[in-house]
Amino acid sequence: MKTKKTRVGGISRGGDEPLLEISSEDWITLPCTTDQPVSIRPLTDEQKKQLEHSLDGVSALGIPKPKNKAEEEKLVQAFLNGLRRLLSQDDNWTFWEPLVYSLESCVRCQTCSDACPIYVSSGKQEIYRPTYRGEVLRRIINKYIKRGGRISSKLYGEEIDLNWPTVARLAELAYRCTLCRRCAQACPMGVDNALISREIRKLLSQELGIAPQELHNSGTVLQLRKGSTTGMTPLALRDNIEFLEEEIEEIAGRRIEIPIDKEGAEFLLLHNAGEFLSWPENTEAFAIIFDALGISWTLSSDPGGYDVGNYGTWYDDFQLVRIAVRHAEIAKHLKVGKILIGECGHAHKALLVLADRLLTGELNIPRESAIPLLEDAVCNGRIKLDPSRNDFPVTLHDPCNMVRLTGIVEPQRRILRKICPQFREMEPHGVDNYCCGGGSGFAIMSSRNFPDWKMNIAGRMKFKQILEAFQDAGDPETRKYVCAPCSNCKGQIRDLLSYYGAREKYNIFYGGLAELIANAMVDLERPFIEWEWH
Amino acid sequence: MGGTVLVLFYGSILFCIIASAVRMTKYLTAPLHLRWELYQESSVYELRDWWQKSPRRFGKRLRGVILDVLLLREFYHRNRSFWYFLFLFHLGLYLLFVWHLWLFFTAVTIPFEAAWDGGLAFGHIGTALSFVGASGIVFRRAVDRELNVYYPRVHYVKWLLILLILAGGFLAVVFHFDSDVPQLLRYVNIQVTFQDLEHKLHPALGPASHVFFVSFWLLYLPFSHVLRIFFRYYQYFRWDDVPNTSGSTIERKVKENLARPVGWSAPHIKSGKAWGEVIRETEDLKEWKVVEDEEN
Repeated sequence: MKTKKTRVGGISRGGDEPLLEISSEDWITLPCTTDQPVSIRPLTDEQKKQLEHSLDGVSALGIPKPKNKAEEEKLVQAFLNGLRRLLSQDDNWTFWEPLVYSLESCVRCQTCSDACPIYVSSGKQEIYRPTYRGEVLRRIINKYIKRGGRISSKLYGEEIDLNWPTVARLAELAYRCTLCRRCAQACPMGVDNALISREIRKLLSQELGIAPQELHNSGTVLQLRKGSTTGMTPLALRDNIEFLEEEIEEIAGRRIEIPIDKEGAEFLLLHNAGEFLSWPENTEAFAIIFDALGISWTLSSDPGGYDVGNYGTWYDDFQLVRIAVRHAEIAKHLKVGKILIGECGHAHKALLVLADRLLTGELNIPRESAIPLLEDAVCNGRIKLDPSRNDFPVTLHDPCNMVRLTGIVEPQRRILRKICPQFREMEPHGVDNYCCGGGSGFAIMSSRNFPDWKMNIAGRMKFKQILEAFQDAGDPETRKYVCAPCSNCKGQIRDLLSYYGAREKYNIFYGGLAELIANAMVDLERPFIEWEWH
Repeated sequence: MGGTVLVLFYGSILFCIIASAVRMTKYLTAPLHLRWELYQESSVYELRDWWQKSPRRFGKRLRGVILDVLLLREFYHRNRSFWYFLFLFHLGLYLLFVWHLWLFFTAVTIPFEAAWDGGLAFGHIGTALSFVGASGIVFRRAVDRELNVYYPRVHYVKWLLILLILAGGFLAVVFHFDSDVPQLLRYVNIQVTFQDLEHKLHPALGPASHVFFVSFWLLYLPFSHVLRIFFRYYQYFRWDDVPNTSGSTIERKVKENLARPVGWSAPHIKSGKAWGEVIRETEDLKEWKVVEDEEN
């Protein structure tokens, strides 16, 4: 395996020539053959002419090239202004302390490098090293922000120039990290290089107005304006729910109501928008389980109330806070006892963990994950289950946001051990899991040649893990199930399995956790899981 | 020369204290940030009604932190090959710290001749461990590509200084004090009780050079990783698992944060207003322009 020696100062180099020529020869080997072309499609000539791509030939952001030097300088100055704001306690109270700690405390032991699935999967390319972007930012700060920086920078031998190529490459580089924070978990000093990536994204968004259009325009803006990142309206939601109720009736043999906007319910269940459009069986499974438990719950049709996703978490504090406040306001309006967060990893992080230092007064409504409630239902015998209905190989994908970033590690595996006789862990798992490759918004980012990069590099380690988990699962005809209790992870795993043809070749399906519980329920007339590809 | 060493030494102590206090104050008064935790095991969020559960006991957490700091457990588990020399170096430093405490305490509390005979060997062991550890770290840093990448060359000066301090201390004890504990304690007694200014102004070369190098180290100490470890654990103990409840200190601090002015300039943010106002302004949100791209 050859590795590229890229110097930190190289990021300032002018011209369109990428710092890294991505080559499939460097990537880690998968335990399978693949029909997919093992390469990343180059950008078209027109795209190359219009867009910045000098990091690695990939464009996640679609940053237009500045028209002239004056525009370049204006953008560089805006970047510098944003950097000053990142380092200001007033402007960046949200993350000042962990950011400054991370910038100041790296001892360059590189313990984090081998923890990063992107760095390892790519064949240890220097620009993907978790410390690389932090080193670039640190050098810019030392040279351009600190007093006497230009002299000390020379003294330290820290080559860097803050010019437009540096800003453009650093911007793309911030989107070559899924913010899975496996590097931070590995760091003996507690340095969080993923946070540095996030803060670079934030600087670009909050000062320069640069963010992937999938995260901003058709992400947080659409959600705040229309109610959902899918564009679904309250009326469409109600139609959708009626359809789900009909489907449930076919499976359960009786009508089960999915309550909407029920004031004073004990729980407001917030699903990711993906559960209503792409994976409605997850919504149905929750409805069936909650009906069996006899609990008081409701969904919301308020704009925002049927999409617990919060892409602001990954690139912009204002959008993050706006969406979290919107969710809390909906719960307050409905006078519910608690917010219950469905199978959405980053909603766990945003609404449970981050928002605990954000919501005050009447908006600080109790919030908890649905997973412990499901565990209580399954493990304490509150619903009748027959594990033999799930007698097929099942493995569990740990969503980073639910596990490493929120600490919900055991309930989901206690459930699976109870109801899935052929449950097997991926290795590594739990808080040491690997990201699916769709983290931090990547799952919905599909512009230009970024999906190729996402499938081949960001998701490579996860796909390898999935194949290895099922290696002893008998012949390829045996149906296998990857349980991913997170909407974004499901999207990425769907795309991975499709990209590599794993459904056709190995019969690997995927789905959520609630579906497996519903599938084991003895009261249902027919099996809940229909092994259909969504 | 002696006067210079004297001023440098006491000046460096004063500087170390003041600079450390300034840096600590900067962190202690930092705004309460959003929760951005990492978990190495199950958290309170696995429990229903988690906000009603008690955070983990202080004593248990303190024990964990002390073991982390003393044994460098994170390096042991995650970067074993680097840990060997790193641990030797730190173990030596911890022993030397204890040894200096013993010196200061013994020098002013008991007759010099009654002091523990093993004291000298104790100090030498600490010095030797740190010296071997530091040399090993420098060697690994120099030859191992992973440890070398991005490592600022100027940091080798720090290691040189540390090696000089260790060697200087050892040589002073062996040659200037003839490895004689009472003689060493007498010297320390004069230093810490501020007797005999003449002695201070005209110190012998051995102890003076040791003190000289130590002074530079004290100037560096407030900016080293030693202080950063404090910052790291401060947050952990102060706020980590404490839920934000109505009327709590956390809620008060969050409200203060929401009253801070906004300075960011992107189109979706209205600069100049308070955070609490800006986050409620979602009516005028507009999409940003993107490059129209047929291949997209």
